[in-house]
Amino acid sequence: MKVRRLFIGALGVMALASATVFGATSSAHPAKAAKAACKAAIAVEAPFATGPATQLGLEQLHFAELAVANDNKSLGIKVSLGQDDTGLNPALATAKTNAIIASSAVAAVGPAGSQEVQAVGPLYKAAGMAFISGSATNTTLTTSGANTTFFRVVAPDAVQGPQDANYIIKHLKPKAVLLIDDQEAYSTGLVTVMTPILTAAGITVNHQSYNGTDTGATLQSDMSSLVTSQLNANETVVILPWQSAANAQLFGQTMQQQGKQATLFGTDGTDSPGQFTINGTYVSNFGPDISTNKSALDKAIVKGVAKFGPYGAFGVPTYEATDVLMQAISAVCKAGKKPSRANVLAAVRKTNIPAGRNPLGLPIKFKADGDIANAVFYLFHLNAKGTYVPISSK
Amino acid sequence: MQIFIQTLVTGLVTGCLYALIALGYSMVYGVLKLLNFAHGDLYMVGAFIGYFSIQWFGGSTALIIPVPLLLLFMIVVAGLGVGVLGVAIERFAYRPLRDAPRIAPLITALGISFILEDSVLLLFGGYTRSYNTPAFLPFSQAIHVDGVNIDSVQIMVVAVSIVMMFGLRQLVNHTLFGKSMRAVASDREAAEMLGINVNRTIALTFFIGSAMAGVAGVMSGLAFDQISNIVGFLAGLKAFTAAVVGGIGSIPGAMIGGLFIGLCESFSSSYISSQYSDLIVFAILIATMLIRPQGVFGQPPLQKV
Repeated sequence: MKVRRLFIGALGVMALASATVFGATSSAHPAKAAKAACKAAIAVEAPFATGPATQLGLEQLHFAELAVANDNKSLGIKVSLGQDDTGLNPALATAKTNAIIASSAVAAVGPAGSQEVQAVGPLYKAAGMAFISGSATNTTLTTSGANTTFFRVVAPDAVQGPQDANYIIKHLKPKAVLLIDDQEAYSTGLVTVMTPILTAAGITVNHQSYNGTDTGATLQSDMSSLVTSQLNANETVVILPWQSAANAQLFGQTMQQQGKQATLFGTDGTDSPGQFTINGTYVSNFGPDISTNKSALDKAIVKGVAKFGPYGAFGVPTYEATDVLMQAISAVCKAGKKPSRANVLAAVRKTNIPAGRNPLGLPIKFKADGDIANAVFYLFHLNAKGTYVPISSK
Repeated sequence: MQIFIQTLVTGLVTGCLYALIALGYSMVYGVLKLLNFAHGDLYMVGAFIGYFSIQWFGGSTALIIPVPLLLLFMIVVAGLGVGVLGVAIERFAYRPLRDAPRIAPLITALGISFILEDSVLLLFGGYTRSYNTPAFLPFSQAIHVDGVNIDSVQIMVVAVSIVMMFGLRQLVNHTLFGKSMRAVASDREAAEMLGINVNRTIALTFFIGSAMAGVAGVMSGLAFDQISNIVGFLAGLKAFTAAVVGGIGSIPGAMIGGLFIGLCESFSSSYISSQYSDLIVFAILIATMLIRPQGVFGQPPLQKV
């Protein structure tokens, strides 16, 4: 009986010991396993192969690729990046988004254009997927309530419009301006913000439109007609809130061809040193030029992106948009969970990346609507060589 | 007045290019009764040949040959290259379907259009590329009269177009090939019975029509600076409209139709709004189809009774 009790007691002790040992192991195991098997898929939507902004789309793609490569290494995770060209076209973006939602992707970077975000926002919302754009700036994207899983790491037009308009009023001092939109949501959104500010300052605004999707002879006909019949002698500034740098270049060349003079002022879509090089132009952009920065992080990013394609300031925010998703996936894994759309979305909402640890130089922390606080725009002045020289936007 | 004349110049340049493309549409329709929707993409291929010619000779800012020689080279190579491509398309895509129901070659033409567009995308990417024409043909080389500016490229586009259109007219009206072409267009079977080599005539027609589109592509790149794999789509539609308005199958009709569409586009952009220029152009197409389906210079089809 005693032996039996001893045997049962010994068994109990062994069981307790085993439970303790294996319990400890099993409580440590998920974290280790989660880290080892922290696998997920994300997608990037950008206009890198088709449409009027492929140059900018390629910049975004290359920065996204770099961010995935860097973070996979530094965070010890294994995230794959799907690539979806949207052509800056809402219909194509919708088709690609449906494909992403049908895939195993847990979140997405992009799309690039505000009109595309408007089209795909409800789809991502229904799928419960976070998507972070590094370039869609239309103010209503975060205020309309239609895109509750949308985030962006760039300032909205509500910041850019007043900043640009005030710069024009203060420094360029025009009596009248020609303001041309390209009929896309991004462009018309900026026009809506800038026009009342310019008008309130006593500046006459000649607002015109052209079809941003026109090409070839039709596009030239648009530009030529705008310069011929709309650019009046008293309009010393022409504001081009466009998504195509090549079109802005064509407009500038048409002005030169017709012997007309005015200062061009482009917005972020026109920021492309390879395509838009009209001397004396101003270009405002949501992305800082980090190419000459001294910080180790910025230097590494500029050096790293060269493996994928040429550096351009337009792509820098997309690096950070991708980084936010990578950090969110890593955080989910660290919590011992398998990345899913829901928990990655929740982790994105809790993002808190200090200013010194991202190339935008701003703390990345999302407000309830998906915007970041204290976002700014940067201003560049193009010299005779077509170089983008950073200047104060104040 | 200054705005009117500048708009007229823009319209003429655009119109000449539409006319060159429309001629190819019309010629092919004339001999095969086929709407070759790949024709706009042949124009795009011509623009790319011109672009790579510039790069081959050192790029726009560092040309290693004189500019006139470069222009001649671009025109000849684009004309020959796109002409041969047109013949190949006819041989391998359209000839096997010559006796098939008309919907078959029509769908094939659309397919060829996508193949050309996507092949260029695959080979060279979707970048908008720039000829950077001002680097070797500066705007300073222009005529400035009373605030109206006409640059050397615009003059060249109009001059080359007129020479090509006149040359084509002579070819069609005063040569044996022209007679063969008109005979095939009139009645293919009868022409064959009379000893005309129909296959060769159709192939030559494709060559000439495609070559003209290729040259138009180069002219477009020089005049409008930007090219991409999608520039042929809209240009092709506008040229098709020009061919229909002028009377599809009619060579003078294509010329006049092209100029008319170019001028309509330019004047509607200047005096109404560039937002509505496409609407106006395609409204003209619909109105023509409703009021005079055979176009201005076209003949109504004969009906056997």
